[in-house]
Amino acid sequence: MIPPPPSLALKFLRWFCRADYLDEVEGDLIEIYELQYLRTPSSAKRKFIWTVVRHFRPEFIKAFSQNSNTTTMLNNNLKIAWRHLIKQKMYSAIKIGGFALGIAACLLITLFVKDELKYDQHYTNKDQIFRLVFEFEGEGAWVWFPAPTAKALISDFPEIEKAGRLLNAESFGAGTSEIQINDDAQIFHESGFTYADHELLEILEIDFIKGDSRSALTQPNTIVISEEKAKKFFPKEDPIGQTIVMKNNARGGPFTITGVVQLKEASHFQYDFFMTLTGVELWPGEQDFWNATNYHTYFKVHPNTNIKQLEDKLDQITKKYFAPAWVAAGDQGVEEESKKVSYHMQPVSDIHLYNEEIVDNLNHGDIRFVWIFSAVALFILLIAAINFINLSTARSANRALEVGLRKTVGSSRGTLINQFLTESFVFSFIAFVVALCLASLLLPYFNTLSGKALALPLAEWWFLPGLFGTCLLLGILAGFYPALYLSSFKPINTLKGNLSKGSKSSGLRSTLVVFQFTTSIVLIIATFIIHRQMSFILNKDLGFDKNQVLMIQGTNTLGDQSITFKNELLNLAGVENVSISDYLPVAGTMRDNNAFHKEGMRGKENPILGQIWKVDANYINTMGMNLIDGRNFNADMISDSLSLIINQKMADAMGFENPVGQRIQHFSRLKTVIGVIDNFHFESMKDEIRPLCLAVGSNSATTSVKMQTEDIAGTITSIERIWKQFAPNQEIRYSFLDDRFALMYQDVQRMGTILSSFSVLAIVVACLGLFALSAFMVEQRTKEISIRLVLGASLSHIFQLLTSNFLKLVAISILIAAPMAYYFMDQWLADYTYRTTLGWDVFIISSGLVILIAIGTVGYQSVKAGLISPTENLRG
Amino acid sequence: MKAPSLGEFEELVLLIVAAQHDSAYGVSILEGLEKQLNKKVNISAIHVALKRMEEKGFVKSRFGGITSDRGGRRKKFYVITAFGKQALDLQYDVRTELYKKIPEISFR
Repeated sequence: MIPPPPSLALKFLRWFCRADYLDEVEGDLIEIYELQYLRTPSSAKRKFIWTVVRHFRPEFIKAFSQNSNTTTMLNNNLKIAWRHLIKQKMYSAIKIGGFALGIAACLLITLFVKDELKYDQHYTNKDQIFRLVFEFEGEGAWVWFPAPTAKALISDFPEIEKAGRLLNAESFGAGTSEIQINDDAQIFHESGFTYADHELLEILEIDFIKGDSRSALTQPNTIVISEEKAKKFFPKEDPIGQTIVMKNNARGGPFTITGVVQLKEASHFQYDFFMTLTGVELWPGEQDFWNATNYHTYFKVHPNTNIKQLEDKLDQITKKYFAPAWVAAGDQGVEEESKKVSYHMQPVSDIHLYNEEIVDNLNHGDIRFVWIFSAVALFILLIAAINFINLSTARSANRALEVGLRKTVGSSRGTLINQFLTESFVFSFIAFVVALCLASLLLPYFNTLSGKALALPLAEWWFLPGLFGTCLLLGILAGFYPALYLSSFKPINTLKGNLSKGSKSSGLRSTLVVFQFTTSIVLIIATFIIHRQMSFILNKDLGFDKNQVLMIQGTNTLGDQSITFKNELLNLAGVENVSISDYLPVAGTMRDNNAFHKEGMRGKENPILGQIWKVDANYINTMGMNLIDGRNFNADMISDSLSLIINQKMADAMGFENPVGQRIQHFSRLKTVIGVIDNFHFESMKDEIRPLCLAVGSNSATTSVKMQTEDIAGTITSIERIWKQFAPNQEIRYSFLDDRFALMYQDVQRMGTILSSFSVLAIVVACLGLFALSAFMVEQRTKEISIRLVLGASLSHIFQLLTSNFLKLVAISILIAAPMAYYFMDQWLADYTYRTTLGWDVFIISSGLVILIAIGTVGYQSVKAGLISPTENLRG
Repeated sequence: MKAPSLGEFEELVLLIVAAQHDSAYGVSILEGLEKQLNKKVNISAIHVALKRMEEKGFVKSRFGGITSDRGGRRKKFYVITAFGKQALDLQYDVRTELYKKIPEISFR
């Protein structure tokens, strides 16, 4: 007996095969199968399945659409949707345009957010990699630790597998430098220098293109460079074994290159040159010194370590290492202080986004930006979806007859819902296509705004399907309520013409309009306040004059010539003053941390923490700082090497009534205060101004030139000419102090521009909706308006009649939005120690602006209605 | 309009259809072909060729009666049309014509 052929294959054949071919094909197949079975039973089934598969080709596949009920309905629905779209061009354009704007905004922001979230997620053991954070209660948290910390972690905590250090402090030669390759005369300026342990490169899983992480940095005076720099300096040769000399670094090499690495772009860890820490000792005994904190310390724990327990155990470090060191330094109240210290393990993947409280002087993203932007994108999309809902329901009257008729001839509610959903899907699909074009057009602009290099991931497998899925979902979400609403009409009412014409604004519609405007107003107020804070920062009296100051980098390579260079510059017309110092009142220049005491109080009182800046006699005048007491440094007085000029804050901290002539203890040296300057801002305005001293110093890399001229370009040309005489092998490199200053607040500025772009977008989309809604209302009431005009109503009456309703809604929105915006922006400003005030004017201006825009939008329609001659409208 | 073309495989199928006059259907054509060519042929190829030739008007078909064989499915019988015969003749003439033009070559 022959068993039947495989049923699944047979079912498949019957499913796809054209009915008029099925008899022949199936019959032949079965006949062959039976013959085959008689000859070789073992392979018959397999062959049958194979033959079925071979038949799965266009000639035999039935046209599924031709005889299926669902597809016919779908075709019909699509056709109807298209007709409606074409018939009402303006409304369709507004629905689609608004939607497309919203989606494009969403798309761009999603790319941005996705890029931000990608940071430091690439480590294979990312749950085991941590950065050590030091928290001192009341003072804050930071990432700098003494040199021996990494050693201590390994020896005291068996849970920790590896620990590595990073030293990126400018004052120890990291950061930027002029460099020489091998013995070439050419000098290049390079940045991105840091010291690192080879363990660190292992922990952070740095990819080595040449060399390897285990051995690359184990010898003294070795260096690992990035692939980009390797290509720049050694386009043809093998970089391994070549040497680099750093001009700005006391331990400047020559360094032998032992590795080339490739760093991940989406990581907080961005350097180009890694100098080894092997054999580095910043001063004698530094490697075992617990009273100086300069090193970032990373570590990797063994798998399955209890993180919480380990974090608690880390507190032992204070007692075992820090406390004795503090006692040795003569610190009082070590007991008390020790209690305030705690240690945290910051997961490496958190460093980029979750770092607000931790000071590390690196560039970061901010998870709050991510949230804010996501929220903004969502709200814009909501505003667009609301347009869709409002316009669809408002225009229900025009569809009522259709619904009535369809129901009368037997359409069920389900079919109607299907029809309306299809329609909204068609809209959302077109909107998506438009949005995709918009987004790719706007992407370059958005990249400049956000400072990123984003691209539409069109080639990624998930992108287009994902987009299509979202499009379907949005179509359904936005179309759901209108579909339910429209399909609920009773045929008897609609056919009799009883249905209200949609001119009354329904409760829901009003609520949605209020929502749209509330969102827009909050965004507008936020934008205003951010801009105001920005201009507050840029225009605040800083305590120094940042205008027309040119900073020339790399003057240390001139050596003893730098003084001659300075004097030559001073002789130039248009140059008012010249000063050589690396310590400048903008972020990214030299900083330090020192402890000061009143005379004789060292070891008896807690120190006053502050900075000591090495400057020259021209510094105060070049920077336009204000000397309020005493005198400036005198270049000819040798005794000034032991003199200090302090800022007001330092005077207050020391408790000096008459600071001039007082003496301050700086470690073992006693220094005399000869002058006091007004406080000036040298860090971000988020922080308070801290105590600071100026002292005479030399051998700095930055020369600041204060110009006083109309012809800045001409003066710079002269400066360049002088530079060429002194350093023929080195390009001049300079920046403006005010540019560097603005750079400090780039993130605020960026946030401001992005937010203003999107709030403009939000208000545009909201107004589009309002425009269409009012146009529709006017259309519905043309006859009424005409009759009113005939009976003597004036244009202003008509205007009032039509706009008052909408204005009420906008007014309600303002009432809701103002307190919300106040709350949010007060939170945001709380970050800044120096902040602008939240005056009523901001709220009044923004509200006025919104009302004006709303009146403009609605008013245009009403005036148009009022100006048409009534006879035209009434004749029909 | 260009006369519909007759592919090599189609020509073979058409020859068999003509030879098995009025009793040619899928399986019989398959068997005939396999016997003549001495190699395995997949039935799907034959089905495709038949459909195409029917569209071109080289063959026409009719259904046989329902029997208990073949899972109760009817056979579809094919016969060559006049147009199909003409195409075959043309093909044959072209081939013989060309064949005759081969000079006498002796292969030793």
